[in-house]
Amino acid sequence: MTSLIDVKNLTLRFRTDEGLVKAVDDVSFSLKKGEVMGLVGESGSGKSVTAKALMHLNARNAVYDEGSKITLHTDDHGEVDVLSLKRPADMKIVRGGAISMIFQEPMASFAPAITIGSQMIEQLMLHSDMSKAQARALSIEMLDRVGISDPAKRIDQFAFELSGGMRQRAMIAMALSTKPKLLIADEPTTALDVTIQAQVIDLMKDLVNEFHMGIIFITHDLGVVAQTADKVCVMYLGRVVEEGPVREVIRNPKHPYTRGLIAALPQLDDLDAPLVPVPGDIPSPLERPSGCVFHTRCQEFMGDMCKTRLPQDIWIDPDHRVACHLHDPKETGK
Amino acid sequence: MLQFGKFVATRASMAMITLIIVSLVVFTLMELVPGDCAERYLAFKNTQGSGISVEDIEVERQRLGLDRPFMERWVSWIVGAFQGEFGDSCILRVNIAQLLGTKFWLSLSICLASLVLAYAIAIPVGMISAATNNPYLNNTLRIVSYFGLAMPNFLLALVIMLFSTVWFGETLTGLFSNEYRDAPWGWDKFVDLMKHAWLPIFILGWSATAFALQTVRALMSDEVGKLYVTAAAARGVHGRKLLWRYPARHALGPIVNSLGFDLNRIFNELPIVALILVLTDAGALLIEALARSNDQQLAGAIIFLLTASIVTLNFLTDVLLAVLDPRVRKSIMR
Repeated sequence: MTSLIDVKNLTLRFRTDEGLVKAVDDVSFSLKKGEVMGLVGESGSGKSVTAKALMHLNARNAVYDEGSKITLHTDDHGEVDVLSLKRPADMKIVRGGAISMIFQEPMASFAPAITIGSQMIEQLMLHSDMSKAQARALSIEMLDRVGISDPAKRIDQFAFELSGGMRQRAMIAMALSTKPKLLIADEPTTALDVTIQAQVIDLMKDLVNEFHMGIIFITHDLGVVAQTADKVCVMYLGRVVEEGPVREVIRNPKHPYTRGLIAALPQLDDLDAPLVPVPGDIPSPLERPSGCVFHTRCQEFMGDMCKTRLPQDIWIDPDHRVACHLHDPKETGK
Repeated sequence: MLQFGKFVATRASMAMITLIIVSLVVFTLMELVPGDCAERYLAFKNTQGSGISVEDIEVERQRLGLDRPFMERWVSWIVGAFQGEFGDSCILRVNIAQLLGTKFWLSLSICLASLVLAYAIAIPVGMISAATNNPYLNNTLRIVSYFGLAMPNFLLALVIMLFSTVWFGETLTGLFSNEYRDAPWGWDKFVDLMKHAWLPIFILGWSATAFALQTVRALMSDEVGKLYVTAAAARGVHGRKLLWRYPARHALGPIVNSLGFDLNRIFNELPIVALILVLTDAGALLIEALARSNDQQLAGAIIFLLTASIVTLNFLTDVLLAVLDPRVRKSIMR
């Protein structure tokens, strides 16, 4: 399989009144065509900011480091250096063209006073040479495809007239209508009922196979990742602490943070098992810990080494890496 | 469409009911003033030298119908008021409708013109300031609008008159030049009116603009930060379309809502500005009737007409809001 997107040394700071705040620190990963990746972490871990960087969509006060590079491999435009895009016309490639995004709150991501159809048609006409009638026909077809009943009527309705599940389906239909190569789903099921969640996840899995796209699934729910993703990237305070194939990481987690996240999941087969939260809170990005960013909450804290030195990536397997001194043979002497 | 007609009819009848209640309040206030029309007129006559007895007052009272019960007089007053007939002035003994006539329309036009001026400036400037978030523009606007809010209109009027008198030898007072004051309406008279009216329009619009700028900026800042704007940007919508079709379009509803409130504020300023600029409009008449001659019939009529204008404007903004916002419209339609 060929590469779809390569993120290299992405470092991103926000200019604020309190100074520069680091949100993403030296993040690298790549995604192949048709691959599904889960981007996991608590709120504030930098997963949404990382995802938005792929579309060059972060707020105007975002400052990218010199060495940051995001390369998107497209069929129509060749290799696109995302962070060097300047003109709005060029940005279209990564905004709604080759990359689409679904947001956490389907209600808030539709403009309330514009019909769903009008927003879908607008997007299609921006990204293709379709006439309005063609765009409308395709939009109705997409709404039908995601399981919305009576799509010819729904297309002229407003977001507030649809139920939560319907809205997220409509959002998916809109995101996929331009046939993107990469879909970024930012907690797409968090705001939905559990039963609707399952439907939406199934729908997304079907569509990935059909359209052969890559998906980046942003979530804090390892359960969702286990069902949907091929590989998983665990982030903490703007850094990738562990990356690997999803089964491997869940069965054999290496980083104490990943282990903590898994232990925090409720177990239906053993209802008496206590829930073990990861102790402590994620530190403010204004006060990033020195050394390993996780050392303030780590159960396996090993003293000065963790406090002062940033752990390097250790490759457990050819596709499984972890950034932790525990697994560094040089540090532990094993 | 039928339901929309029903909505308009409902709102119109609610406006009517409001007006009737207001008229009761106004009429009661008129009655609360010590003494009645008969006493006041004859007391006024007395000061001019004609001797008046208690019997004269009683006869006059019967002639004016003031011996009838309160409710009966209110009903006949309100029935007349809705037909634009307010009876005779207590003191001047002329028909109020004739006395007010064009003067009221002049005042209303001046107030509406300042309202239009305020929003014609505030909507584009406030929106662009909120959208671009340019610190220089924002701070300039803040200073200008605080200045506008803090400086009373009458002071501004006095300052402008002082400067124009000292430097240009022009007093800038009144609404017409001498040769046009009693001339029939025509193009020349209109031009002459415009030459004079810009000053009261500017002065009345001054603090209204400052206030509207703050309102528009705040509402727009709110909308710009919403998720649907980010979502639209993520679909490739950009530039002017991203500004006007999304946040600006959605900030308009609350802006329309604030129009009635602003007209109210402008009306409050009208009499004082009229007094300083020696305008011969309804504002000046209101001051005259309230403060000098205690002419309750005339004051009541003017207050009723001003209130009726506000109620009418609120009715119009309600309808406009329903046209603009589908959430309001759809809640009516079902």
